Amino acid sequence: MAFYDRMMSIDRRIIFLSVGLAVAIPIIVPLGFPVQISEETMNFYREMAALKPGDIILLSFDYEGDVMAELNPMAVAVLKHAFSRGIKVIAITTYAGGTGIAERLLTEAANRYGKTYGVDYVFLGYNPDWSGTMLRLGESFKATYPTDQYGKSVYEIPIMKNVETYRDIALVVSISGSALSEYWAIWAGGRYGARVISGNTAIQAILIYPYYKAGQIPGFLGGLKGAAEYEKLINAPGMGIRGMDAQSVAHALMLAFILVGNVGYFLFRRAKRREQK
Amino acid sequence: MAVTHDLGIWVAGILTLAIFSFLYKDNPFYRFAEHLLVGVSAGYYLVQYFFSAAYKKLWVPVFQEGHHVLLVGGILGLLMFTRLFRRTEWISRYPVAFYIAAWAGYVIPSYIQVRILQQAQDTMFNPRGMPLGEALSALILLIGVSTTLIYFYFSAEHRGPLKTLSKVGITFLMIGFGATFGYNVMGRVSLLIGRFQFLFTDWLGIVH
Repeated sequence: MAFYDRMMSIDRRIIFLSVGLAVAIPIIVPLGFPVQISEETMNFYREMAALKPGDIILLSFDYEGDVMAELNPMAVAVLKHAFSRGIKVIAITTYAGGTGIAERLLTEAANRYGKTYGVDYVFLGYNPDWSGTMLRLGESFKATYPTDQYGKSVYEIPIMKNVETYRDIALVVSISGSALSEYWAIWAGGRYGARVISGNTAIQAILIYPYYKAGQIPGFLGGLKGAAEYEKLINAPGMGIRGMDAQSVAHALMLAFILVGNVGYFLFRRAKRREQK
Repeated sequence: MAVTHDLGIWVAGILTLAIFSFLYKDNPFYRFAEHLLVGVSAGYYLVQYFFSAAYKKLWVPVFQEGHHVLLVGGILGLLMFTRLFRRTEWISRYPVAFYIAAWAGYVIPSYIQVRILQQAQDTMFNPRGMPLGEALSALILLIGVSTTLIYFYFSAEHRGPLKTLSKVGITFLMIGFGATFGYNVMGRVSLLIGRFQFLFTDWLGIVH
């Protein structure tokens, strides 16, 4: 077998093992690569930092377990930032599978900062049909969610007392593993004038740029890197920063594999051309 | 190293390894974990949807609070089940038509406003008084949008200037695909990082 053939036909199990080691080793032995802050993350941070104590944000958990590795660090950081500054949180989820995740993260953050359920935060739970939910919240929060996740009437929940529509919400924060951040921008932002920022999986982040560029989403966090940058800005290192060493090493390895595959391909093409002559 | 005593984490850890075993080759451990996931997910979602939609949004408002108008929506929803039988399948077109009409009414005005008008507006700029870097960025955006649109213009053969411009457009598209691929890699690696963090931190206690 020619050398270029070997370069182009590396056993996929060797690739899997290499990627596994490239991710595992930096998690066990941190390398401490620096985290640079991007403009999008800085603007996300500025939107959050501009809120005053007592302001209310709507935090939408637009994801399920499949992408929680990327999005949990963002949601945790948003909750830490909000609770540490006395900002109140109304949380919802647009995915049935997001209920357990939202409940756990809210409870952990609230316990850490000594926040009271119903006064400092509330979890309204899952509502079927996310599009109808986004639109109806613009008409009435209380009609959209007559009760919280645990069946208590929203009329008996103090934080909900003065919340009628998006006008009473300082900021909508969508943490999303799908296109739902775009829909928040389209409906909550475009139709009802709510200010929307988002945290997105890396795959979705690329689709957020046009909205960011046009000012429809004034700040966003892109993937685990965005989470790490935000953790650094709020001085609360968490799973995002811890994962960035592994991310960098794995990316370097991928680049090496892409390089090897391409060099192999060019050598193969050159050999073919020589054969034809 | 402090291995957890939490049974749930042990189950999650072992199932994670069972799924990873597919990377070597297909095997009964992987298939067991896969089938378990499908079964548990189906049960979980059935219960969630039943209680959050059928019970909370239909049964309670109609039969406990007297909002009988909601029965119209309930009946339309039930008509969807007529698809299960060939002879009554045609009836399901009515709720589908209703849904599509309502959805189009919701979506079309907002889409035009946010996705077309505001986005198009963002490509327009006045270079006078603009910092050089910003003006250059706006110019690149304008060229990128225009040439990409030309690439997708199929009503005339791509020859001469049109061919040149569409080639510029495809270059912008390639850059976009490259960025998407890069983000894709980052996303997939992040998922692996999340699993490894779970295994090393929550399960095995190697990392704190």
